[in-house]
Amino acid sequence: MSEENETPLLGAFGEPSKPLHYLGPMQQIQPPRRRFKETETVDYVIVGVGSAGGVLLQRLARAGFSVIGFDAGPFWDTERDWVSDEAGSHKLYWNDLRITGGQHPLALGENNSGRGVGGGSVHWAAFTPRFHPSDFEVYTRDGVGADWPLDYQDIEPYYELLEQEIPVAGPAYYPWGKPHGYPYAPHPMGGVGDVLIKGCTRLGIGVSAGGPVAILSASRGNRPHCIYRGFCIQACKVGAKASTLITHVPDALEHGAEIRDNSMVSRVSMRPDGRADGVFYFDQQGKEHFQRARAVIVSGYAIETPRLLLNSACPGHEHGLANSSGLLGKFLMAQAGNVILGRFDDLIRLYKAPPAHALTEEFYETDPKRDFARGFAIQTVGPLPIAFARQMMTAKGLWGWGMRRTMMDYNHYASIALLGEILPWEDNTVTLADGHEGRPEARDRFGLPVASVTFNLHDNDKKMIEFGKNKVMEVMWAAGATEVVQESRYAHLVGGARMSRTPDSGVVDKFGRSWDVPNLFVMDGSVMPTQGSANPGLTIQALAARTADYLISHGDAIFTSSRRDLEEPPCRKTLSPPGTFTAGVPHLR
Amino acid sequence: MALADKTPHEVALALPAPLRKPAEIVIDHIRHGTFQRSMSVLVMGTSLVSGLEVGYEHYRGSYSNPVMYTPVVLSGVLTIAGATSFMSRKMAKTFLRYIAWTTLIDGIIGFGFHIRGIARKPGGWRMPIVNVVMGPPLFAPLLFGTSAYLGVIASYLQREEDHGPRAQRLEAEAATGPADFRKEIATGQFQKHFCVVTAAATVCCGLEVWYSHYKDNFKYRVQWSPILVAPVLLAAAIGGFKSKRIADTLLPIASAAAIVNGLVGSYYHVRGILNRPGGRKKPVYNVLYGPPIFAPMLFAACGLFGMMAYFMRREKR
Repeated sequence: MSEENETPLLGAFGEPSKPLHYLGPMQQIQPPRRRFKETETVDYVIVGVGSAGGVLLQRLARAGFSVIGFDAGPFWDTERDWVSDEAGSHKLYWNDLRITGGQHPLALGENNSGRGVGGGSVHWAAFTPRFHPSDFEVYTRDGVGADWPLDYQDIEPYYELLEQEIPVAGPAYYPWGKPHGYPYAPHPMGGVGDVLIKGCTRLGIGVSAGGPVAILSASRGNRPHCIYRGFCIQACKVGAKASTLITHVPDALEHGAEIRDNSMVSRVSMRPDGRADGVFYFDQQGKEHFQRARAVIVSGYAIETPRLLLNSACPGHEHGLANSSGLLGKFLMAQAGNVILGRFDDLIRLYKAPPAHALTEEFYETDPKRDFARGFAIQTVGPLPIAFARQMMTAKGLWGWGMRRTMMDYNHYASIALLGEILPWEDNTVTLADGHEGRPEARDRFGLPVASVTFNLHDNDKKMIEFGKNKVMEVMWAAGATEVVQESRYAHLVGGARMSRTPDSGVVDKFGRSWDVPNLFVMDGSVMPTQGSANPGLTIQALAARTADYLISHGDAIFTSSRRDLEEPPCRKTLSPPGTFTAGVPHLR
Repeated sequence: MALADKTPHEVALALPAPLRKPAEIVIDHIRHGTFQRSMSVLVMGTSLVSGLEVGYEHYRGSYSNPVMYTPVVLSGVLTIAGATSFMSRKMAKTFLRYIAWTTLIDGIIGFGFHIRGIARKPGGWRMPIVNVVMGPPLFAPLLFGTSAYLGVIASYLQREEDHGPRAQRLEAEAATGPADFRKEIATGQFQKHFCVVTAAATVCCGLEVWYSHYKDNFKYRVQWSPILVAPVLLAAAIGGFKSKRIADTLLPIASAAAIVNGLVGSYYHVRGILNRPGGRKKPVYNVLYGPPIFAPMLFAACGLFGMMAYFMRREKR
């Protein structure tokens, strides 16, 4: 073929003209610049710009506060930094040293941590179901776990708002919890979704096709729609999957927020009068700095948030900041995430389509006929070959030729996961590996003690996992599988700085304000008292938007007053990123 | 060919006795442009169907641009306009005419948006095949104009009750004045006009079927059938424009084939939806993502155009 013929129609593709920062292929921004001096006192510093941090940063900047978002990782340029490669995406996770233990130690890293701006929302599978009303009163209903200090009605407007902002694709009528619908159309099914639907409909189990998932089923503004290439959890280069990096952070920068990336906050600094006055942090070169602020919000997720607060122990807070209750780092929760793999004679091609695209919450609530409290959801997952090989290794003990033979059949397997509610237990903890009181000692490259995580399953959890696992296998068989195996696994991580009605039963109040320090807030997954069988991402963002409304309602009083007003703030629709309300389908609200 | 070379009236004579009379009446009305009420009912039906079609297709696109609501709303209004025109001559001349033209223009605007939609996909028009196949359906907005076009025609027709002396008077008047497409429609003398429309609709629909079935890898051999019928219908329509003989011979045969093909296609599309995982237990979802349930009827509509052209009288010019 001559060279002339290889030129595309209408001429060759052009080179990008000026160096811009890419957030997805179509969204370009000026690279974030430093705005505030260290001697300057900003209104808020947010430690960790992930799901919660990104939303808070955007809201507070839009409301006119001066705000800096710190992140230990980089500000991603999606075109330069990300690769659609399973092995090449390891830098999206928090890979620093952590110690894990207990009778059922958690694997830490991939599916329960994030690093860099956008945090875990960069590599979440993006399932965004809401919590059910029952999740907020687990103790009252079932006598286990805990009650939330807020009700479903308090968070409901924020669910609706965030589903519109993200926006979430899903059916226009979603029957579980409080019935509602979604603003973007459901996605087409991949092979795994087809298996789940076949299995469930044959067993008479209700199933939701095509969502709810925070992936665009149609383009919105400068974000293209999904092209179903399946690299969601390797970070979506298409920009179709929502992460706060592309949904909220650009708007925050537009409104004067600063992102200080590659900056590891080491401790929250306290004034003698019991108020926080800023944070100490290490830059990329390991040099320590101090940033002054009127209030501090910690959004480091379930491990780094307790670690930072424990590391911030100082006179008056000897057992860690905001830890007068002694509950900081306790009641850590992961969800049971057993993966059930089934082999089919037909091709499934589980790498096609987003891993998250169909689910059922038919078993979500407590059922008196079962011998355990609470329940589980069943969701599609789509492991790429490395993850699949690992799952097969644990599930079938495969190695060598046997593994190779099975990998040849990769395209014939479907994988469906359990997402089961493990209850909050006091012995599931995050502590410091500081060498004190019999604890091990380990430090990171800045000399800070690392986190040590202990995790044990209790009776109720084990029964739930057993029942749930068998139910998923039943669905798999019903769909026509010829072989079914399973791997035990955990997903997500919440709790550790739970919110409570009273100062002695938790670390923060229902807006994430710490009971001990009036201008210190915690807002991320760690504030959750229970976790339901729903993926926590949407709830984290909704809680963050609600806290932002609370902070904005109180204005400067947050910086000066210690008065604690627990009135619900009005849900502001004026602070959403541009384009939020211009698109969407009619759906049940 | 000689066997088929019959005028509509001769065909009607070949029908069994009880059907002969009604067929003659229908043909007579069509040939004199006195079928506004029937056409209004047809407009009502087709615009309801195309409203449903565009409604769920744009739903699948999440109404990500508010302009995507316009064809849905206009279809609803056009359906109402069709109903009112059935009842009132005045409504047909005013309400139906304005709405039909507006909807037709909306279809053309939509065509522009769909071209832009393809341009906005990665690679844009530099990768035309991929992006036409995977992008917004290029010709769908023009095909959406089908019912609007029928509405425009209906609004210029005479009513059934005008058949007879009144229609004859109008025809005599029209014969004296300068050529005017509105008068030609009103007197049922627009065969060539209809041949052009049939040809245009067939091109759009044929290409649409082609890339839609291509998207499905021509999994079933029957998916080739509309692609084989379309060029024949296209040739018949173009031929019908040039020659009365072809309009009397090939055109009705090709049109009948297209109509039958559309009906068969509808059966297969419904079957395809029921065969999806979940089948009738997930009806809404499976209609949304299964084979487009109303699409084969669009192809049948091309056949219907051709058939009407066959019944029509030719323009005098």
